[in-house]
Amino acid sequence: MNVIEVDKLTKYYGKSRGIIDVSFDVEEGEIFGFIGPNGAGKSTTIRTLLSLIYPTSGSAKIFGKDCIKYGPEIKKDIGYLPSEVFYYDNMKVIDLLKYSASFYKKDCSKRIKELSEMMDLDLNKRIDDLSYGNRKKVGIVQGLLHEPKLLILDEPTSGLDPLMQQRFFNLLKEENKKGVTILFSSHILSEVQRLCNRVAIIKEGRIISLEKISSLRENSYKRINVETAVDVRSDYFKIDGVSNIEIKDNTVSFLFKGDINLIMKKIAEISISDVTIEEPSLEEIFMHYYMRG
Amino acid sequence: MNVFLHELKSYRKSTIVWSISMAALIIFFLSMYPSFSSSASLVKKILEGYPEPIRKAFGISIDDITKFLGFYSYVFSFVVLGGAIQAMNYGISTISKEIKLKTADFLMTKPIPRNEILTSKLLASLTSVIITDIIYLVTAYITAESVTKESFNIKLFFMISVTLLFVEVIFMSIGVLISAVVGKIKSTISLSLGVVFTFYIIGMLQATLNDKAMKYITPFKYFDTEYIIKNSSYDITFVIISILIVLISIFLSYAVFLKRDIHAV
Repeated sequence: MNVIEVDKLTKYYGKSRGIIDVSFDVEEGEIFGFIGPNGAGKSTTIRTLLSLIYPTSGSAKIFGKDCIKYGPEIKKDIGYLPSEVFYYDNMKVIDLLKYSASFYKKDCSKRIKELSEMMDLDLNKRIDDLSYGNRKKVGIVQGLLHEPKLLILDEPTSGLDPLMQQRFFNLLKEENKKGVTILFSSHILSEVQRLCNRVAIIKEGRIISLEKISSLRENSYKRINVETAVDVRSDYFKIDGVSNIEIKDNTVSFLFKGDINLIMKKIAEISISDVTIEEPSLEEIFMHYYMRG
Repeated sequence: MNVFLHELKSYRKSTIVWSISMAALIIFFLSMYPSFSSSASLVKKILEGYPEPIRKAFGISIDDITKFLGFYSYVFSFVVLGGAIQAMNYGISTISKEIKLKTADFLMTKPIPRNEILTSKLLASLTSVIITDIIYLVTAYITAESVTKESFNIKLFFMISVTLLFVEVIFMSIGVLISAVVGKIKSTISLSLGVVFTFYIIGMLQATLNDKAMKYITPFKYFDTEYIIKNSSYDITFVIISILIVLISIFLSYAVFLKRDIHAV
């Protein structure tokens, strides 16, 4: 069964582009990644699903019901965490969470306690005394306290330290095991790779690819920078899978795709003074991975 | 109900401050009445020294001001001005507050239709204004009883006083419409002061020029105290105009707000 069905969703803000003909389905129980650079249309899509904005054309269904027409009804089972959380500043955390819970005709106090302990959140502080990261935690608890069947997360990790990020991911995995479907939007590829089953990639308002994470991983690029101690021949690294070689003084940088062992051997054979291997930026992925056709 | 209570709570401080200020204002003004009435002829002479346009602008009528209701209607115009600012403020914040504080995302991703959100918020604003008005009215009445030696027409006193609420409801509905259409408003207080004073000044001009047509432009002139005292009733034309303004503003506010895109920050 599909929890989310998006059909040719299009949104223009006046004349400027929001999203164009976006279509994808999210199956029940999966963690679906939604990835693209800033301004690609991730938030526009998500905000339409939540009927915060209205589509220019096309439609979307959640739990099989039109997300605009049945908005209030389907939101009972949706938890939403925006990229930037803002709450009524003069409230205490616990009061805000109780206010949030009051919209879902069920007792959420136990869940509030559980979640805030897990996220290490002080319930008695005032919201305006909280740091950015702690506000984010309020957002996480607020999004999960009513045990939603669908979680919509819009760049949820910004502002969380690595430890909290880890806990948050574990929490998401746990929820997912209980059968919760998750739509996870991000501009950080590694995050999506760690968590998601499938991923939609959006660029300039259009979905350009819909892939399983396993196939994405096979094709994953690394950006490798090698600082050599001695001069090397410019074609030394020219093996299969290497592209975009740039040589500057003693630094060689390139993109690599393929068996990581091969390139590690190659690097080990020469004398180097430094090496970094990093995820390429999304732009680079778009440039090299999606323009292959 | 939860949104209504939440909103009411968020207005609590402001309602207390407005209630106290308006009560203090009327105590201050009315406590001057005894000295006013005891030296009536002197006061009349002083007022005659002012140029007529200024007297008209401030709604001073020499014959009436030494009588209690005449005096009360004069100071009451300042009370209405204050009430209008409060109501306009609440009206404008109804929607723009959520957008300015960026809490719209929180509220509108909850399982509650937008019209219910707006209704709860409007009722909360209205309740706050009514609470302020009741405190004002009780204070005004007690003060009036204690400063007057002669008896005054209590029915007229209430008929005049309750127009405070009418004018406030008009301004509040205009405020809601503004906030539904504009959305994000940086400074609520300066906008509401601007709008309210514009109408107030139009009212002063109207009184000075004695222009009949201008009366229709400013809600401050819809419930003319002189008319109420003379006829013991409200001018039905303006009652109808008031109801129309309120209904149309509220209707348009709902229509705009329900279709409005709530943009990301």
